[in-house]
Amino acid sequence: MNASLDQRWLASTSHSPGALQIRELSKHYLLDGQPMEVLKGIDLRVKPGEFVSIVGASGCGKSSLLRLIAGLESDYSGDMQLDGKAITTTSLERGIVFQDHRLFPWKTVAQNIAIALKRSPLTRQEKALRVAEHIRLVNLQGFENAYPHQLSGGMAQRAAIARALITQPKLLLLDEPFGALDALTRISMQRELQRIWVQHRSTMIMVTHDVEEALYLGDRVIVMDARPGRIKYEIDVDLPHPRERHAPRLQELKEILLTELAGSDADK
Amino acid sequence: MNNLLSHARRARGLLLPALLVAAWEVASHQGASQAYAFVPLSVIGQGLTELIRNGDLLISTLASLQRTCIGLLIGVIAGLLVGAAMALSAIAERLLAPLYHMLRQVPILGLIPLIALWFGSQEGAKLLIVSLAAFYPMTLNTFEGFTHIDRRYREVARVLEWNTWQVFTQVLLPGALRSIANGILHALAFAWVSSVGSELFLSTGSGLGNLMMNAEAGARMEIVVIGVVCIGLMGYAMNQLFSRLTRHLLRWRDI
Ligand SMILES: Nc1ncnc2c1ncn2[C@@H]1O[C@H](COP(=O)(O)OP(=O)(O)OP(=O)(O)O)[C@@H](O)[C@H]1O
Ligand SMILES: [Mg+2]
Repeated sequence: MNASLDQRWLASTSHSPGALQIRELSKHYLLDGQPMEVLKGIDLRVKPGEFVSIVGASGCGKSSLLRLIAGLESDYSGDMQLDGKAITTTSLERGIVFQDHRLFPWKTVAQNIAIALKRSPLTRQEKALRVAEHIRLVNLQGFENAYPHQLSGGMAQRAAIARALITQPKLLLLDEPFGALDALTRISMQRELQRIWVQHRSTMIMVTHDVEEALYLGDRVIVMDARPGRIKYEIDVDLPHPRERHAPRLQELKEILLTELAGSDADK
Repeated sequence: MNNLLSHARRARGLLLPALLVAAWEVASHQGASQAYAFVPLSVIGQGLTELIRNGDLLISTLASLQRTCIGLLIGVIAGLLVGAAMALSAIAERLLAPLYHMLRQVPILGLIPLIALWFGSQEGAKLLIVSLAAFYPMTLNTFEGFTHIDRRYREVARVLEWNTWQVFTQVLLPGALRSIANGILHALAFAWVSSVGSELFLSTGSGLGNLMMNAEAGARMEIVVIGVVCIGLMGYAMNQLFSRLTRHLLRWRDI
C-alpha cells in the first residue's frame, strides 16, 4: 500500500547485497573441560541478494553458525569473508535478528528501531524519516510509542526485523525469527518478509525448523546434520518470487527435504 | 457501591493501628503506674498541641529530615560510584570489595564511638553516620543491578557497534535502574532511621531524637510517644512517596 513511497526511498539510498564465502569453518565449545565439536568443515557460498534457508535438528549448530557469521563468537578455525573482507568481529554490514526479539524493554518501538542508527552519520531528521519508513515497512504504524511488553510476539518480532534492516546490512541473518508465533501470524510474517526481501534485495540467511517456510522463502535450502554440525544436503528452489505457497513443485521438494531430515534423525 | 468497597479495602490497613490505639487507651486507665507507661490519649493530645504551638515538632522534624536528605544524597552518589565501579571494573572490585564487605558487617551503632572520637558529636559526625547508612545498601544494589544485566542485550549492543559510553547509557544504566531504585528505597529507610538514631547517641543539636531524649529526661512520656509515632509516620510517608515515584518512572517494566 505504501509501495510507491518505499520504492522512492529505496531508490534514494544506495546499498548493495553482500557475497558470503565460508571455507572449512569449525568451532568447538568446552563442555566440562572437554572440547565438543559444534561445527565441522562448513563450506558455504552465498551469492549477493540470495535467500538461503537452513534447517536441521535441534542442537546441530545452526545458531552457532549464525553467531559466527555475525562476529559474536571468537575462537574458531576456518575462514569467513563478506565481499572478500575477512570477518573478525561484529559489523554493521551484518545484521542479525535473534530468535528472541531482544528489544530493549525500557525503550518504545520507535526508540528501539532508532537506536540501531546510533553510529550512523545521518542527521536527526534523516534518522527520524528512516525510522518512520521502517515502521511502515513492518506495518507497525500506530505503535511507535508502545513499549515491547505492550506488543504481541509477532509485532515485537517485526520491530526487531525493522531494527536489523534499518542499518541496511549487506547480509541479514535471521535465527528462527518466527519460531514463537502461531501458524496464522507466521504465514503473514513470511509473506511480509518475502515482500521486504524482494524490495530490499539484501542477502539473507534464515534458520528455521519449518520446512515449508524454508522452501517458501529460500532460493536454496541447506540441511544440517548434528554432532558435529555440518552441511549434509543442499537443494535449489527453482521457482521465481513471490511464490505461491501451494505450488506443486514446493510440495515435491518438501517430500525430499523431509526424507533427508528423517534420515539424519535415524542416524542418531 | 464500588467506591464504598474500595474505601473499605483501603481502610483495612488502618484496622490494626486503630485496635492498638484502643488497647493503649484501655491500658492507660488501669492505675497510676500504667498511666505513666501508657500515657492516656488525652495527655498525648495536649502534648501534641503544645509541640505544634511552640514549633518544637516542626523544627525537630525538619532538622532530622534535612540531615536525612543530605546524608542520603551523599550516600547514594557514593554508593552509585562505588557499586558501578565494582561491577564494571575487575580491578576496582578486587580493590574495593573486601574492604566494603568487611565494613558492611559492622553495625553503624558500633562505629558511633569511633566517629564521635574522630569527628566530635556535631552535625558533621551525624551526617557521616547517615551517609554511611545510605551508602551500604546503595552500593550493594547498584552492584547487583550492573552485574545482572542480561548478556543478550550486550550482544545487541555489540551487533550495533556501540561504543563504551553508548553501552553504558543505553544498556547498563537502564538495565540497572530497577535495582538502583531499590537501593535508593533501602538507603532512604536506613538514612531516616540512622538520622534519628544518631541524635540519640550524639545528643547535641536538634531533631526528633533529641526531642525524645529531652522529653525522657523531663519525664514527659507523652512527647516520647509523639516522637515515636512521628518517626514512623514520616518514614512510612517517604517510603510510599518514593515507591510511587519509581513505579511511575519505571512504568515500562510490565507488572
Ligand atoms: N556457549 C556455549 N557453550 C557451550 N556449548 C554451547 C554453547 N552454545 C551452544 N552450545 C552447544 O552447541 C550445540 C549447538 O547449539 P546451537 O544453539 O547452535 O544449536 P541449534 O542448531 O541452533 O539448535 P536449536 O535448533 O535448538 O536452536 C549444542 O549442543 C549446544 O549445547
Ligand atoms: Mg538455535
